Amino acid sequence: MSVVHAPAARLSLWPAAAGRVLAGAALLGAVALLPWLTGADPARTVLRARSADQNPTAAELAAVRKQLGLDEGPFAHLAHWLGGLPRGDAGVSWVSGEPVMPQVGTALSVSLTLVLGAFVVTALVAALVCARTVFLGSRRRLRQDRAGTTAAVLAALPKFLLASVLATVCGVWWGWFPSSGWEGPQSMVLPSLALGIPSGAMLGGLLDQALPAAFHEPWARTAYAVGLPPGNIARNALRRTLPGMLPQLLPTVVALVGGAVAVEKIFNIPGLGRLALEAAVAQDLPVLQTATLALVLLGVSAGILIRALRHALLGRPLRDGALPTLHRPPLVPPRSLRWITAACSVVLIALVTAGLLRDPLQVDTAARLVAPSLEHPLGTDALGRDLLARLGHGALRTAGVALAVTVVSAVTGLLLGMAPRASAGPTEVVSTLPAVLSGLLIAGVTGPSVWGAAIAVCVVGWSPYAAQTAALLEQERASGHIAASVALGAGRTHLLRRHLLPAVLPALLRNALLRLPTAVLVLASLGFLGLGEQPPTPEWGRLLSENQPYAELAPWTVLGPAAALVVLSVLAVTGSALGREKGV
Amino acid sequence: MRTTSRGLIAALVLPPLLAGCFAPSDSGDGTGAGAGSGGRLRVALAVPPVQALSPYSNDATVLSKLSVAEGLTALDRNGTAKPGLAKSWKQDDDTTWTFELRKAEFQDGTEFTAQSVVNALDHASAAKPKPRVLSDVALTAKAEDADTVTLTTKTPDPVLPLRLASPALAILSAKAYGKDGAVSPAGTGTGPFEITRLSGKAKAKLDRFDGYWGGKAKAPGIDVSWIADGTARANALRGGEADIAEWIPTAQAKLLDKDTRHEVPSVRTDSLILNTGSGLFTDAGLRAAAREAVDGSALVDSVFGGYADPAQGLFGPAVPWAADKRVDVTGRAKADTTAQVKAGTKGRTLRLATYTNRAELPEAATVLQQQLEKAGFTVKQDVREYTQMEADLLAGKYDALVFSRVTLLDTGDAVDYLASDFTSEGVYNIPGLKDGAVDKAIRAAAAERDTKRRQEKIMRAEAEILRTDAVVPLVHEQAVQGIATGVEGVILDPRERSLVDVDTHAG
Repeated sequence: MSVVHAPAARLSLWPAAAGRVLAGAALLGAVALLPWLTGADPARTVLRARSADQNPTAAELAAVRKQLGLDEGPFAHLAHWLGGLPRGDAGVSWVSGEPVMPQVGTALSVSLTLVLGAFVVTALVAALVCARTVFLGSRRRLRQDRAGTTAAVLAALPKFLLASVLATVCGVWWGWFPSSGWEGPQSMVLPSLALGIPSGAMLGGLLDQALPAAFHEPWARTAYAVGLPPGNIARNALRRTLPGMLPQLLPTVVALVGGAVAVEKIFNIPGLGRLALEAAVAQDLPVLQTATLALVLLGVSAGILIRALRHALLGRPLRDGALPTLHRPPLVPPRSLRWITAACSVVLIALVTAGLLRDPLQVDTAARLVAPSLEHPLGTDALGRDLLARLGHGALRTAGVALAVTVVSAVTGLLLGMAPRASAGPTEVVSTLPAVLSGLLIAGVTGPSVWGAAIAVCVVGWSPYAAQTAALLEQERASGHIAASVALGAGRTHLLRRHLLPAVLPALLRNALLRLPTAVLVLASLGFLGLGEQPPTPEWGRLLSENQPYAELAPWTVLGPAAALVVLSVLAVTGSALGREKGV
Repeated sequence: MRTTSRGLIAALVLPPLLAGCFAPSDSGDGTGAGAGSGGRLRVALAVPPVQALSPYSNDATVLSKLSVAEGLTALDRNGTAKPGLAKSWKQDDDTTWTFELRKAEFQDGTEFTAQSVVNALDHASAAKPKPRVLSDVALTAKAEDADTVTLTTKTPDPVLPLRLASPALAILSAKAYGKDGAVSPAGTGTGPFEITRLSGKAKAKLDRFDGYWGGKAKAPGIDVSWIADGTARANALRGGEADIAEWIPTAQAKLLDKDTRHEVPSVRTDSLILNTGSGLFTDAGLRAAAREAVDGSALVDSVFGGYADPAQGLFGPAVPWAADKRVDVTGRAKADTTAQVKAGTKGRTLRLATYTNRAELPEAATVLQQQLEKAGFTVKQDVREYTQMEADLLAGKYDALVFSRVTLLDTGDAVDYLASDFTSEGVYNIPGLKDGAVDKAIRAAAAERDTKRRQEKIMRAEAEILRTDAVVPLVHEQAVQGIATGVEGVILDPRERSLVDVDTHAG
């Protein structure tokens, strides 16, 4: 970590490139060694994937092993795969025996198209979330701060639930769009919405928080006084704030190429996420390696592109160290802030206390899917268990684990982000990596374990924070007052404590809080690997996924948990806003 | 601003580039309501192809479900062999059978002859790994003349005609068998429908084969889409995007219109397997206590939403002869009382395993957990994806397993399942059962040639197995098939081998 002037960065492109290559190679190596690391015999998983009823006799397993050349060990296999790559030959799938390249190529193009659609929705939603701030700010009427409730609510919506609801309502009931399949632009609409709305809310929430500072800068005042049109001021304010937010596109939108498995399943989209997951479960290494390689290349190139875009937007001031720091103006907190925070706390406390008094595990098959009533205020699930009890009992564990994971990820991200040149590669590589892959690795090493899910999520979860820290620090280091501080003899610790961290932390906190619900859901999505608490332990993510099939038949089974997640998210965001206001 | 114009250019250029990224739409029949264009059937299947529809893989059933390829024999409703590509057959001695073939034509225009049968069966025997249906038999085929084939087995095989009905032994034309062991059924079967295009794991297009020996099919073709997610399959049917959707999950069945919902008793039995080889349940008294505690009928209306039957034994209503021949179970161990259970477990936890691949099983496990806890056990669940836990299961690292099993495997003969799952040397012996009487009973059934007596002996073996309490049957599943109104002639097959045939048509 060095606090030097930005111009030096030109000379040091090599460490970043080396970091990218190293991180990509390490990941591919880990994937190639997966069966040997986890001790799960690929012959068995491949045989099972080919034929569900086949008896796993020693003779059959030996036949598969011989066919795949497993006895030669991982390195011969890896070398063979690498050797084919320059010729555009990624080998044949262990399961189907078909060439890998066309499969991965098709799946990748499908996923890229889908993500492009999701990106459009993301941009629209983000624009809507910031619309008020942009409108008022560009007209210098921004007096009141915002609680960020809308963003928090939308960002907390589980994508798979949104997908289910959209498929049912717009696909089946109204028949506006096909409920599944991938046959033309009309198939893109619903999945893009399901993926884009939460992502857009998250990015919009971040941008919305950064914008007031840009409108508060002297140039904006001058521009307004001179009579420049609001559109012009708004554009320049966006140009000022977007670079800090752009790196978030990588883990939020680009990561959907490999990380939209649930939505791909619901809409039956033959995307890369599903292909990679199937290959990972069957340990079909040629497919898995090629899919991983595609994700790595995608992550790195998107990372480089985003970096170039950032530099283009900020331009010379960044290079010359003449970028003024963004200072948040003192804004009046909205009166609703306190009320919303209080209401959310009351709801959560009521939920937990009422829930804790009831039995979350009592199965009553006679009281199946009972609608909310006096006896069961939130209704019951498919096994007749009281949903209020399950929510209440799950609250502390869910919030606790998700918070712990988020804190660990954010701190890791912060630390790594402080060494931007070394961490750029790993950040890009990890940000497109689906959590399932790290989960599989962890599951193989630890076996089924309660903490496995948390570890697996931490392994990949730090990348948004590292990207954010790196971007903000770069901007901060290019600001005039840092140069002044250095000139006045400020040491590294002083710079860090007084200038750099204060500039990064609020945005990082907001980011972490907006990502809290996602952490809950990702943790639960690893359950099928035996990671995390085993059922029937109540846990919010599990409540959502286990009740998802009943979403239409008994909507209360998912509405309760989804609402609880939303309340938690709103409380976290408004609570932090309240804290910030007190702190200032 | 510069970026805006660049963005605009990108927005204009990208859509045409991306137009190629969608799955090819089939002959522009669009997404209009009602049946596909010109009466083509739109079928939503559940299990995407794993090996490009090779008959030696999971995909084999697709070939028989959609009447693409046929074997020498077929199974009738009662599970006995009926003529397929063979008109008739007779057994010459213990190991030799003669099959008289019918006149037929392959979809590629070549003639179906005795030589094609020999070629197909030779390839099946030589396939690596061997198709499951041939795992315990060595088969040699010889062409006597153009329409007579003799089949010889190394050891006597009383169920050979049943075996030949397996989709893995479908007869394809010589063109189908590639040099590298790959088998392509596209345009090489003898059935009324011909695969004309397979688009990855998502879609396939089948056209009517006009040269079919059994007459022209009523439907001009089939558009297959594979939809792995059960809810999405149900949605496709409800949204009018599919005419037939197989395996509607029980959670979705209630959402379907009553007249589109058809339930079929399935040969799948869900049971609680108790590990007799190691751990808690080596104690017969504890096993008996678990058997007494567990009540499968509680699952029928709850977890299975009514789409299941309470278990009668290992074989349910889908095995029509089982009920009449059922033998009472005698000589079971006496169940421990709750106090004895608490003492007997010595503070050990019961590891209750199940897998997520079938949505109902984890729910069932939770109900069973409560039932077992009432009987004095302390239960901890272990729920994972099946492939993640198969090795652990076979190594006995569990105490009880909620298990869903097809009781009539691809031979259509029940002995196969009993032998692999419950004999001492069985390769799929998850309960770790080693019981002389069970082995003897299963061996006796395997050796029996007469169909009726074989069935009796199978039921005697069932009673022997149940006596050990290594397995506690819970429910017999029902499959729910979604069929749009106006579509007629869909076959509701308990063995899940047939779905569409010559007579199936829309409206």
